[in-house]
Amino acid sequence: MAVTKSSPVPDMVVLSGELWQGFLELVTGQYRVIGPVRRGSEHVFAPIKNPREIDMAYVTTILPPKKVFHQPFQVLFSFDTEEGTLAEAQSGEEKVVWGIHPCDMHAIAILDKVYGVEYPDPYYLRNRENTIIVAKNCTEVGENCFCLSMGTGPALRSGCDLLLTDLGGRYLVEVGTEKGRKLLSGLELVPAPRVVLVEKEKRLSQARQKFKKRMVTQGIQELLEENFRHPIWEELMRECLACGSCTMVCPTCFCYNVVDKIDLDLKTGRRQREWDSCMLLEYAQVALGQNFRRDRDARIKQRMYHKLLYYEPQFGTLGCVGCGRCIGACVKRIDITDVVSRLAESVESDR
Amino acid sequence: MSTKPKVSVYKLSSCAGCQLEFLNLEPVLLDLVGAIEFSYFPMARRRYEPGPYDIGFVEGAVTCGEEIERLKKARQECRVLVALGSCACYGGLPSIKNWTPERVIVSRVYENPALVHSIKAYGIDEYVQVDAYLKGCPVNKDELVEFIKGTLLGIRPRLRPHSVCVECKLNEYECISVIKREPCMGPVTTAGCGALCPSRGKACDGCRGPANDANAESLARTFSEYGLHRSDIVRRFRKFAGLTQEFSRGADAV
Ligand code: SF4
Ligand code: SF4
Ligand code: SF4
Ligand code: SF4
Ligand code: SF4
Repeated sequence: MAVTKSSPVPDMVVLSGELWQGFLELVTGQYRVIGPVRRGSEHVFAPIKNPREIDMAYVTTILPPKKVFHQPFQVLFSFDTEEGTLAEAQSGEEKVVWGIHPCDMHAIAILDKVYGVEYPDPYYLRNRENTIIVAKNCTEVGENCFCLSMGTGPALRSGCDLLLTDLGGRYLVEVGTEKGRKLLSGLELVPAPRVVLVEKEKRLSQARQKFKKRMVTQGIQELLEENFRHPIWEELMRECLACGSCTMVCPTCFCYNVVDKIDLDLKTGRRQREWDSCMLLEYAQVALGQNFRRDRDARIKQRMYHKLLYYEPQFGTLGCVGCGRCIGACVKRIDITDVVSRLAESVESDR
Repeated sequence: MSTKPKVSVYKLSSCAGCQLEFLNLEPVLLDLVGAIEFSYFPMARRRYEPGPYDIGFVEGAVTCGEEIERLKKARQECRVLVALGSCACYGGLPSIKNWTPERVIVSRVYENPALVHSIKAYGIDEYVQVDAYLKGCPVNKDELVEFIKGTLLGIRPRLRPHSVCVECKLNEYECISVIKREPCMGPVTTAGCGALCPSRGKACDGCRGPANDANAESLARTFSEYGLHRSDIVRRFRKFAGLTQEFSRGADAV
């Protein structure tokens, strides 16, 4: 492949075959890349050594790409009580996250507000700053996806460094930022004709036809406020296992616990934070054993109300991006869209 | 005489697998031995030092009168008494016999049943006050070390009280229940093992006993939907902690 350093990178290109492979090799050769790979019959975001490991056709992943920025286990600092010293955790090298779907991009935009505005979080922001995001529009739709009804997919408008759309054997690559453009430099590229945007739109509107699940968002706030004592919560209390899976896999959940990991010398150690979940009994426990959410129904409501009601005043947006992970991960198949639909139906039939 | 905290390790009815985890701590064993003194540990040391001890670990279920006496003595000579492993916590594997008449069980195993004076298998808190529970069959090494460190520092050790699912998700293991429709006990079982069985593609067996808000009835209903026979559901909930209120609800649910 001819490489011309000086050729400028256009805003929009179509890559296929050798050129696409060359692009993948270029990026994986130059950066630490984290992308979607198979794990059994599921997928996970994992470090990519060989571009062939990337599965561009993935539908969803066990954990969302949030884990790259808000890490499940994040060391904050290490300490030595004898010396009386603290050492802040070092930031990682620059990396690329490959193939993030629009729902997860919207979730990252929400986390940017959670961790970037009122109380800026240096750990999150550092992970965010040294990461280049290559997003990918969805042309296939999973059985639990309902981003369309949340306005968070299947197409992404902004927020990423590069945006990919599968045009069937060819990829449309759109430049979002200069950071993204950097990834393409070194390849000999010709600008894509504007007519490919018509093809892109066609693929995306085909995708929109494929959704089977939707959230009833109209009047959702009033619906929830008025039905805090609805019998459905008691039914869910009997069903829910309080296992916490639904919150562990949610791309917008941001709760964590802080723990000290002390070495065997009992003098040195690390302070780290770990994901926590409001679905777990101990989450709302305070000193002397009092617990504000001892009952399971109170915890189910906390999760669903936080996503669909309390995020709005906090962050100016709903807290659910319709990724469907909480539905797919639930052993009891508890479905947040179904809960809302049933509430809406029962109100309708009362009228 | 050393001023290091004195530790004792006792054995009741058990397979010695939990004690063995002490020895399996090899990479940190020397550090550990630097921090504590194994004053009474028959499986590992020939020489015993008399009590009192600072921390006593009791392995095994109580299955005969003589063990009750030894357990009570252990309680007296230890400042902190720890149930080491699921047998000591809940009766563990030995407790699977509890639902069959003692006579029948004994004659199934021993040639001369008259020589055996066994009783129902219980966890040690049936007879003495217990300060801490290290769950698992066997106990988890990291948790064991975490507990010792916490005790030496006088702080509450972090032992995860919630479901195995949390650790399963944190490690992104394929879900045995949702994907394979196999009866995984993870949602109602205490974490701390790092979701060991799902990490090997196997359903959790519930060896660590009930998590802090276990909804065993609901999980039993799901097992039934997966096609598990009632007797198999009962067996799953009675394998390690059938005496606990939570798991007995699961066994009685369908
Ligand atoms: S995943 Fe399902 S069963 Fe588990 S806590 Fe969430 S709603 Fe309850
Ligand atoms: S609540 Fe469920 S569907 Fe919504 S963002 Fe979280 S995991 Fe996805
Ligand atoms: S309170 Fe619950 S639902 Fe809300 S972010 Fe925290 S874990 Fe997620
Ligand atoms: S495999 Fe078992 S422990 Fe893991 S998430 Fe599924 S149900 Fe929970
Ligand atoms: S996964 Fe379950 S059975 Fe396996 S070690 Fe952990 S608690 Fe025990």
